[in-house]
Amino acid sequence: MNQHSVVVQNLVKDYPKVRAVDRISFAVVGGEIFGLLGPNGAGKTTTIRMLLTLIKPTKGKASLYDIDVSKYPEKAREMAGYVPQDVSVDGDLTGYENILMYAKLYGVPRIERERRIQEVLEYLNLQERSNDMVNTYSGGMMRKLEIAQALVNRPRILFLDEPSIGLDPNAKRTIWELIKKLRNEFSTTIFLTTHDMNEAEVLCDRIGIMDKGRLVMMGEPSRLKSTVKGNVLSITSKTPGCNTKLEELGYSVIPGSKDNRFDLVVTDGESLIPYLLDTLKKNGVEVDAVSLQKPTLDDVFLRCTGTRIEGGERWTETRRKRRTFRRLTK
Amino acid sequence: MDRNPEKAENLQEVDEMKVKRYLSNVLTLTEFELRKLKHDSTQIWLRSVQPALWLLVFGEVFTRIRVIPTGKFSYLQFMTPGILAQSVMFVAIFYGISVVWERDLGLLNKLLSTPVPRSTIVLGKALSAGVRGIFQAVTVLVLALVLRVKLSLNPLHVLGVFGIIVLFGMCFSSLSMCLAPVFRTRERMMGIGQAITMPIFFASNAIYPISLMPGWLKTFATVNPLSYVIDAMRALLVTGDFSHIIIDLFAITTATVVLVVLASMTFKKILV
Repeated sequence: MNQHSVVVQNLVKDYPKVRAVDRISFAVVGGEIFGLLGPNGAGKTTTIRMLLTLIKPTKGKASLYDIDVSKYPEKAREMAGYVPQDVSVDGDLTGYENILMYAKLYGVPRIERERRIQEVLEYLNLQERSNDMVNTYSGGMMRKLEIAQALVNRPRILFLDEPSIGLDPNAKRTIWELIKKLRNEFSTTIFLTTHDMNEAEVLCDRIGIMDKGRLVMMGEPSRLKSTVKGNVLSITSKTPGCNTKLEELGYSVIPGSKDNRFDLVVTDGESLIPYLLDTLKKNGVEVDAVSLQKPTLDDVFLRCTGTRIEGGERWTETRRKRRTFRRLTK
Repeated sequence: MDRNPEKAENLQEVDEMKVKRYLSNVLTLTEFELRKLKHDSTQIWLRSVQPALWLLVFGEVFTRIRVIPTGKFSYLQFMTPGILAQSVMFVAIFYGISVVWERDLGLLNKLLSTPVPRSTIVLGKALSAGVRGIFQAVTVLVLALVLRVKLSLNPLHVLGVFGIIVLFGMCFSSLSMCLAPVFRTRERMMGIGQAITMPIFFASNAIYPISLMPGWLKTFATVNPLSYVIDAMRALLVTGDFSHIIIDLFAITTATVVLVVLASMTFKKILV
């Protein structure tokens, strides 16, 4: 169970003008959900593509379940399933045919083929639409079908590149649940990339944070967040002079607070709240609302790299995705 | 060399398995290409409009004015194999566009992430283009028969024509797949396709004999694979003169093998 499923040592990928992946090393344990988190262009997809032998590393070593991907690329690919970031189902075939094609290409034995296809269709709840043309599917269904295609091979490790990109919140949640279920029921190792902090947090057992080709931090999401000292406590009050009162009491208010809201950086905010409210009341300050912001993975990222992960997709990306869906569905 | 005969036999078996698997993967890719055609065959009908016009307009007119010496055969008889080959060429030469499209979606990435060797994918796609070519050719043949063009319908000859079409489709779709990593976008592929189809078509024996051409064009026509394809099909369908067929087949096969190998080697570059 504790066998390493992915081991990467000093992996480098150089492109003519840029070093996309810069000497990264990490190991993923078999049966865990591991995520590479980082902004667009951090080198996440390049890393996945090297692991899947789609591109050659410039330097360094990578192995899947002890199989060196450079030496035995076909063997490595046999164990893996891959759901690329872009739409990868064929709109001109039915859902069933899309899966059948991959069952054949992965070499699923003929006698087992039909049973396995029905299994994955059922698992992903796609039976009813399996004989419809894929260009009539919704984005969420296409993603499910892509996962079905990868699962028909019963991969030991499943690579998901931005699994929920371009999906609506409902479809997103379905996909997340599916990924968790997959790991829990079959202990499939899941290796995903994401730029969505929420996704990384909800889904991953461990994450590696990437920025500009470097792996800057790695660990469980909760542990990573606990490395960020201090929380932000916001106090809303209409009492005039609240600002100065707070300063007098020895708290530093983050400049630029507005609408009667004052943000303070505090440690151990939860136990501080009752004490602070009490003190303020004694000093004649009427508090309307209090809120405590826990550190997020974005704060972790901010601390490691000095910048923030952009919220959500870039508009160009969203546009590209929409265009693809539109073309696919005519 | 191997001292253990049992092991040697096993190895041979493993090799056989590999070959079998390789071929079955090629056929799988072709199978699904045909399934797509089954779901939507509109493009075959649309693509048969142009050859139809060539036969109906160009062919009928030139048959009447008799400016091109075609011996004892009518001009329509002479040009039918040429138009047949042209229709297949159009299918094949624009095949790279669908490869670029599959790259733009994630299809190609995923296909390459399967254990299937790269050359299988090229061969499978080339074969698909060849088989598509047969469907296209059938529409032209039927039309020619409707126009009462006298063609040899000996089943062996027709089968031979189909064989040549498959090879030819593979040849030109491989050429297209060689171009795809260079030109990279669908628009450019469209442009380059148009740019090369015209010279290849007119500098061949499709609609006039090579003997009518000026010297420099003759040279080009004799290295043009299309000339050999048409010559072979003309022998099978019209003239029954098989004196060049060995050279024709040799030329087509060589061109196909070279281009398939070349495409297999360069194909992966389209991803970068």
